[in-house]
This record gives sequence, structure tokens and C-alpha cells, in this order.
Amino acid sequence: MRAAVTSPAPNGGSGTMIGAIALLLACQLAGEAIQRVSGLPLPGPVIGMGLLLGWLALWPKERPTLDQVTAWLTAHLSVLFVAAAVGLMQEGPILSRHGLAIAAATVVSTVLTIMVTAWTFRLVASRLGEDDIDEGGEAEA
Amino acid sequence: MIAALSSLRAEPILWLAATLLAFEAADIVSRRSARHPLAHPVLWSTPVLMGLLTLSGTPYPVYASATAMLGFLLGPAVVGLAVPIWKRRRVIRRLALPLTAALLAGSATAIMSGVGVVWLMGAPDVVIASVAPRAATTPVGMQVSAMLGGLPALTAAIVIFSGVLGAMIATPLLNLMGVTDYRARGFSVGVSAHGLGAARAFQVNATAGAFAGLGMALNAGMTALLLSLAAGLK
Repeated sequence: MRAAVTSPAPNGGSGTMIGAIALLLACQLAGEAIQRVSGLPLPGPVIGMGLLLGWLALWPKERPTLDQVTAWLTAHLSVLFVAAAVGLMQEGPILSRHGLAIAAATVVSTVLTIMVTAWTFRLVASRLGEDDIDEGGEAEA
Repeated sequence: MIAALSSLRAEPILWLAATLLAFEAADIVSRRSARHPLAHPVLWSTPVLMGLLTLSGTPYPVYASATAMLGFLLGPAVVGLAVPIWKRRRVIRRLALPLTAALLAGSATAIMSGVGVVWLMGAPDVVIASVAPRAATTPVGMQVSAMLGGLPALTAAIVIFSGVLGAMIATPLLNLMGVTDYRARGFSVGVSAHGLGAARAFQVNATAGAFAGLGMALNAGMTALLLSLAAGLK
């Protein structure tokens, strides 16, 4: 494990809530800017995710506030896209014409993806001599 | 009084409040059912809101601009997916080979099999583009769909349907396949069925849940990457 570069702050952590939100927004902004300049067909926030990963790797330390903010956002993702899902009410014609194809594609793709992913993982892991063990503790690290 | 109140229909507060209330009501049912995938709050709050819009004669664009701030938060939420990936960096490094191989194979399978089926059934490009990112978590899927010329709302519905389905079939399917490794089980469900699959995996086993969360976050990036490459080649 890499040594934490931060000194223990009196408040037990580093960074404020606003600082954590600012970091997320700055990464997204930089991602959007890169997307526009490069013309990459990759969404700005996804580029921002890569940038944040780079930021965390460059300055590795405990970031309890950032953890809290992102955990909160992830836990409440569903309510954020319900408004967008309501937009489906405008797509009646497409749904009635292609609903069956869409449903079939979703079922086939969901089943095949689970199968291929699980098999590939086990195939490569067993070549490496990885037993299938329960490593709950480490996975949570 | 009715006239005075009906002017509220154009204000964001009405539809923001309605959206959160409808979601919370559906979420109470979901919690009561111990988070059964079929009780997913999006599945039930969405038609309720559609009904309210239809009954009140509110066009969707009015609703969309009223609730724009909810959608805005999806961007920072996607950026934040870097945090769970970073926190599991030691597991990722140690299992780099099986994770990378499984991610690449699973992500490509999700895209190609989904696109293949709608294409074979004669669907137009807009449907193909909406199905392609179906294994990415909803906000990423919607953004990728928009970039490919798909319909973000349709992609949201497909992604959620995938999640409900994946969460329901994962356990019997993986048992049938004889996969006992909880890392492989969790990761495959996260790659295929994102957050809904991960929530289900956490109910089964902590390791499976952690690997499902990892699968969701990694496949959000991989789906976007593979599809942007494909779009660049076209």
C-alpha cells in the first residue's frame, strides 16, 4: 500500500464538502472542454471520470469527504434519471414498431453478457492459479 | 383560485416536487419488498409521472425543463465513479488479467449481441444507437446514446430493463453455469446489469457486491470507449 501523503488533519479528514463538489465539477468541466477540443465521441463526464482517476493517483491520500459526496450521488442515481425516463412518453411510435426487437435484444444481450463475463474471468483466473475463494475483506478495501 | 394555482404548472417546483414524491412513494414500496428488482422505484414512478403529465395536459418539454436540475447531477455522479475504482485499485492490480479480459469480452458481447439482434430484426439506426450502450450505467448510457444519434430516454428505459432482468436472472443463471467464484459472479452481473445488478449482488454476498460495483464502474468507461472507437471508425 502506498503511504498516505497527508498529515492527519484536526477534523479527522481532509477537504470540505464544497471542495469535493468543486473537484467533481472541475473534472467534468475539463472533460467537456477536452471533448469539445478533441471531438472525441466520448461523453465529457466519462472523460472527467478518467481525469479524476488520474488526480487521485497523482495525489493519493484519504478523501473521506469526496467518498461521502460520491457515495451519496451514486446511491441516489435512480431519482436523477427518472425525469429523463419520463421522456419515453414521447417515443410511442418507436416503441410500438420496434418494442419487440428492443426487448429481444435486451434479453439476449443481458444473458450472454453475464455468461461471457463470468466464464472469461474464471478461465483467465484459473490459468493464473487463482482459486475461487471468498475475499470479502479485500474486495471491500 | 383555480386559475391562480394553474399558473404553477409552468414552475419547476411543481414537477420537481411531483417527481420526488412519486419516486419516494415508489421507493417505500421497493423497501417494503426488500428491494425486489421488479419493485424498482424507477419502474413505477415513471408511469405515474407520465400519467400526471397526460392528465394535466402538460407537454413533456415543460416537464423536462422543470426537472433539468436533476439531470444535471448525473454528470458529477458519472465523474464520481472514479472513486470506487480507485479504492479497489489493489484488487484491480492483483486481478488485472482476469478483470481486463472479462471486462473486454463482456463489454463487447453486450454491445454486439444487443446491436446484432435489433439489426437482424430490421430496426433503424436510431434504435440501434439506443440499444448499443445498454450495459453502461444509465447516465453514461444516455450520454453515449445521444452521441451516437440514439434517444437518451429510450436508452434509459432499455438500461433499466436490463438491470431489472439481470438482477432477476443472475443467481439462477450463474448457478446453472456452475460458477461458484463470487468474484466472477459479482463482476459479471455488474458488467451486464450495472447498479441494479450490483444492488442484487450485495444482497447475496459482500464479495459479489464489491466486484459488481467494480464491474459497473469499469464497464461504464469501457462501453463509452468501445462505442466511441466504433463511431470513429464509421
